[in-house]
Amino acid sequence: MTTRSVSPATKVFREPAVEPRTRAPRQRRRTLPLRRLLAPYVFVLPFVLVFLAFSVYPLFFTLRLSFTDWHGSGAAHWIGFDNYRYLLTSSGFWSTLGNSGVLWLLIVPAQMVLAVLVAVLLNAIKRLRGFYRVAFVVPFVTPLVAVAQIWIVLFDQDNGAVNAMLGAVGLPPVGWLVTSGWAKPTLALLFLWKTTGFVVLIVLSGLQQIDRGLYEAASLDGAGRMRQLWSITVPLLRRSLMFSLVLQTLAVFQMFAEPYVVTKGGPYTSTTTAGLYLYNHITRADLGTGAANSFLLVIVVMAVSLLFVRLLRAED
Amino acid sequence: MNPTLRRSGRTARLLPRRGTAVVAAALLVTGLSACGPDISSDAPASGNAVLQASSDEAPKGEITVWDRSGDLYKVFDAAIKKFTAKYPGVTVKHEAVDIDSKLQNTLITGTDVPDGVFLDDAKVGGYVSHLWNLKDVLAPYTKDIAKQKVDVNTVNGGIYGVPFDLDPGLLFYNAKALSAAGIDPNGIKTYDDLLAAAKKYQQFKPSAKPIHLEQNAFNSQLQLEMFASQLGTGLAGPDGKLRLDSPQYHQILTWLDTVRKEGLGTRAEYLKPSDVSALDSADEVFYPWAIWFDFAPQQQLTATKGDWRAMPLPAWTAGGARSGAMGGSSFVIPKDAKNPKLSWLFYRFLMFDQAGYTGVYGPNAVYPGGLNTSIPAYQPAADPAKPLFRPIDAMGGQDVWKTAVEAGREIPGGAPIPAWWSGAVDYLGTDLQKMLDGALTPQQVIDKAGKDIQTNLIDRK
Repeated sequence: MTTRSVSPATKVFREPAVEPRTRAPRQRRRTLPLRRLLAPYVFVLPFVLVFLAFSVYPLFFTLRLSFTDWHGSGAAHWIGFDNYRYLLTSSGFWSTLGNSGVLWLLIVPAQMVLAVLVAVLLNAIKRLRGFYRVAFVVPFVTPLVAVAQIWIVLFDQDNGAVNAMLGAVGLPPVGWLVTSGWAKPTLALLFLWKTTGFVVLIVLSGLQQIDRGLYEAASLDGAGRMRQLWSITVPLLRRSLMFSLVLQTLAVFQMFAEPYVVTKGGPYTSTTTAGLYLYNHITRADLGTGAANSFLLVIVVMAVSLLFVRLLRAED
Repeated sequence: MNPTLRRSGRTARLLPRRGTAVVAAALLVTGLSACGPDISSDAPASGNAVLQASSDEAPKGEITVWDRSGDLYKVFDAAIKKFTAKYPGVTVKHEAVDIDSKLQNTLITGTDVPDGVFLDDAKVGGYVSHLWNLKDVLAPYTKDIAKQKVDVNTVNGGIYGVPFDLDPGLLFYNAKALSAAGIDPNGIKTYDDLLAAAKKYQQFKPSAKPIHLEQNAFNSQLQLEMFASQLGTGLAGPDGKLRLDSPQYHQILTWLDTVRKEGLGTRAEYLKPSDVSALDSADEVFYPWAIWFDFAPQQQLTATKGDWRAMPLPAWTAGGARSGAMGGSSFVIPKDAKNPKLSWLFYRFLMFDQAGYTGVYGPNAVYPGGLNTSIPAYQPAADPAKPLFRPIDAMGGQDVWKTAVEAGREIPGGAPIPAWWSGAVDYLGTDLQKMLDGALTPQQVIDKAGKDIQTNLIDRK
C-alpha cells in the first residue's frame, strides 16, 4: 500500500539510503536462523566430543573386545560369547561377586544409618559446626594409600594397636587381616571410615532442603525428636538416600584400591572384589576376558541400582 | 506456518534431524571402535624381531630408560654417568616409573614407549610379543651368563631380556641364638637336618617357631619356585606344559606341610611387623630365602642386628644342589623403542663392561659397601675372589659375596618362567596358603592348583 503512494522522485531520493538498510536485515534474516540453529550444537560440541572419546568409544571398544581373545598384541580372534561363558561358569567370578555382595551388606546399610545420624547431629549443633563438618570430610580426602597403610599397622595380628587394646582387657588377639573370616569386616571398616563423610555431605544437603515449618508443626502436635526423625526427616531424605545408595553400591562393586593395598585380595581371595578380579584379568593381558568381566559387572551393578531406585520410588 | 505437533510435543522436523544425529554418532562410534586390534582367525599373535648390534663407532642419540623408583634407581643413575662418560654422544633419560601399572598400556598403545625397561623376570614372558629378541646381540655373552637367567628370559628359542641380577637362595640363620641352643649350623646339610635343628631349637626355646612359613601368596609361590629351581624344575617346562604334578613339588610341599604340622613354622609375611617381631625376639631363627633377605639385618632388625649369617640352602637329598633362584630382574627393549640399538649399547655397558657392572654393584653413594642384595648374572663379574661388595657389618662382617657367588654357581638351569606365572598366584599361591593353614594337603594343592592353572591360564592363552 505505501509503496504505491511513493512518487518516483522520492524513490530515487531514498534508494541510496534505503539499499543498505534493506539489504542488511535480509542478510541477517538468512544467517541468523542458521547461526541460531547451530549455536546450541556448537556449545555442546566440546562436551559431545569428550563424551564420545572418553565414554562412548571406550564402551563400544570394550564391547567389541569382549568377543575376542585379544592379549594386547597381534591380531585378536573373534570368539563369540566364549569369554562370557567362561566367566559365568567360573567359580572365581561368582566368588568375587559374592565377596563384593558381602562387603556391600557390611558397608552400605550401616553407612546409610550412620550418615543420617551424623548429618542430623551436624545440622542441629550450633557451635563449631564448620569444624565438625570438615572433620567428617577429612577421611574422604585423605589419600587412600596412607589410610591403607595405617590400617595395616593398626590391625597387625601381633603388633597392631587394636590387638594391643584387646589384650589390655584380656581378650585374645584377632587375625584381622590374615584370616578370611575377619578380613572382609576389617576392609569394610576402612571403607566406612573413609567414605561415610561423603555420604554425610549428601544427606546434610538433603536435610537443609526440608522445611523447618514441618518440624514446628509436628512439635506443636506433640511429636518428639525421635518421632520427627522417623516420620519427617527420613521420608523426606529418601531422594538423597537413594542417590547415596546408588553411588555407594557402584563404589563397593568397583572397590579396588582398598583390597589391592591392604590385603592383596587375600587371605585365600576372600577380599578379592569384583573390581580387583577384573583388574587381575587385565594385568594378565587377558583383555578379552577383562572386557567381558567389566560388562557383566556393569549389568549386575545396573540391575542392583535400578532395583533400589524402583523400591524407593514405589514408596514415594 | 506452524510445524505439525506430535503427541509427544516433538516436531516432525526435529525427528529426522535427531535420527540423522543418532545415525551419525553411531557411525562415528562404530568407526572409532574399529580402531582397535585387527580381528582375524589365523594371524600369528606375535612376530620375532631379532635385534642386531650397531656398528657405529661414535653413537649419537637419546634413549629413555625406565627403572622402578627406590634404591636401585639411584644406583643405576650413578652408573649412567659412567656410561655417558664413555659414550658422550648418547643422552640417557632416566625415569622412575611404576612399571607394573604403566608398561602394559604403553606397549599396547605404542605411545611414549621407552627404549629400555627394568622388568621382573617373572613378567618377561608375558610381554615377548612386544619385545626385541636379543638372542643375536647376547650371543657373545650367553655362555658366561648364569644358565638359570638365560632360561627365564628364553621363550620359544628367543631371549627377550638382558639378564641383570642372580638371586641365589640362601639359608639365613640367627647364629647367636643357635649357638646359645648348642646347634652347629654347619651340620645342616639337608632339609631333614633343618627340621632336626628346628626341633632342637624349639626344645631349647619352647615359644619358638624357628622356620619362616610365608603368609603372602605371591611370596610363598616365589619361595616354592626357589625350592623347585633347586631341584632343576619349575611350574612349566620349555614346552609350556605344567610340571606341578611331579615328585619334586610333592617333596617340597610335603616338607613345608611337615614344618606346619610339627609346629615349627612362624606364619608371617616377609618383613611385615609380625615377621620382624618374631625375628628380633629370636623365635624365628631360620629363613630360607633369596639373598635379598640380607636387607633385613641391615635395615629392619634391631635387637638381632649383627646376629644373622647366611649359608647355602640345605639340599633336598644329600649331595644335591645347595641353591635355587628366587626372583630376579632383567632389562627388556620394546620393539617400538625409538633407539633400540642404543638401548642395547647401554645395557651391554651396564652388565658386561667392567666399568659398567662395577658401577652398578661396586661401592656407590647409596650402598657405600656396594650393592649386596643380589649378585651379577654375568659370571665373569661374579668372581668369588673379586668381590664387588664388601663384607656386611650387620651380618657380623660376613663375606656374603663369596657365599652367594658360590651358591649361585649351584643353581640348576631348566626352569623357564611361563607368561602366566604371576596369574598362577591366584591358584597355586592361594592353595599353598591354605595348606600352610592346614586346610589342604600337599596332594590337594597339586591337584586343585594344577587344574585351575590349566583351565584358567594355560588353556586361555
